[in-house]
Amino acid sequence: MRDDDNVKIRDVARALREPVRVDASFNERVMHAVREMPKHSRLSFWRRFAMPRTITVRPVAASLIAASLIVFALVGLWHVSDDLDQAAKPIAKAIFPPKVAPDQHVQFVLVAPDAKKVAVVGDFNGWDASHSAYQAQHRGGGVWAVLATVPVGHHRYSFVVDDSLWVADPTAPRVVDNDFGTTNSAIVVEEQR
Amino acid sequence: MEAVSDAVIVERVLHGNVEAFGGLVERYRDRYARYALHMLGNREDAEEALQDAFTRAYRSLARCDDPERFGAWLFRILVNRCRTVGARRGRRAKTFVFDETALLSASEEHPAEQGAWREEIDRALQRLRPEQREAFLLKYVEELGYDEMSRLTGVGVSALKMRVMRACDRLRELLSEVHSA
Repeated sequence: MRDDDNVKIRDVARALREPVRVDASFNERVMHAVREMPKHSRLSFWRRFAMPRTITVRPVAASLIAASLIVFALVGLWHVSDDLDQAAKPIAKAIFPPKVAPDQHVQFVLVAPDAKKVAVVGDFNGWDASHSAYQAQHRGGGVWAVLATVPVGHHRYSFVVDDSLWVADPTAPRVVDNDFGTTNSAIVVEEQR
Repeated sequence: MEAVSDAVIVERVLHGNVEAFGGLVERYRDRYARYALHMLGNREDAEEALQDAFTRAYRSLARCDDPERFGAWLFRILVNRCRTVGARRGRRAKTFVFDETALLSASEEHPAEQGAWREEIDRALQRLRPEQREAFLLKYVEELGYDEMSRLTGVGVSALKMRVMRACDRLRELLSEVHSA
């Protein structure tokens, strides 16, 4: 047996198993490093997604994202269900950017595949996300749309996704709301001739 | 008072209580410092590897699949950090600081002879090849089974057995030289 040799491995191991003491300042060094890191925050995926944050995007990346959104919107519209087919033309017209329907109705469209609820808010409805006339309906393929009345004139508006996330219309001109620092979309509603 | 489980502390940290992580540092600091110190042979590298393991564990805590076994997960990170720090040290001029190993681990009651013997053990340990030292420490000092060692290191069981056997042979050889000198 090898452990019967002069040097017994088990004795060596026993010596090495003696506890090691680390300077108490070690804890503080680790915690100092840890405190410098971002805090964990176990939120649901949607809450994390909906949480307001500042995003910096390079102009090139912004262009690519905008182009992707347009392609995505087109693909979404291509695949909408049969009942949407009849309304496809007005939607297609409204989305780049919203245009006025004969009776001053405007078709608002947003592609939001993960959304459970989408509403339109603007100065024309008192920025009220619960206004029943401005609740978008899911048309299939992640496309949400609502045909809503908008008075003639210049207006600011936005989409509100799931009652919490404000999303500017990706297809319309943007304006910064100075009151809240948020970016809204702009629309001009003209009188029908 | 009943100790709070690792899983409870992990949950608290994941809910934003950063200070709760200190409980895990306190719980595993000394135990894992022993492995790092024996593996790397000096206090500076051992503390660097250990601190690195803790901070990496904090950063990746959400990916700890079984918080109840946080200690085992942390140990796997530490084993990898020791490999990295050891490899980096290997590229530097080799300077073994055996007295630091002894300083950290020897208790005051040790008689001088026992302290010298202990120093020889540390010296012999550092003369093992790193993969043999790792296998020996995991098997004989951390007292892990070969299956767990295999999961921890990613090395096959038979290769680990071979490393342990060679490490034992080499330690006997080195320490016998001291005995007979």
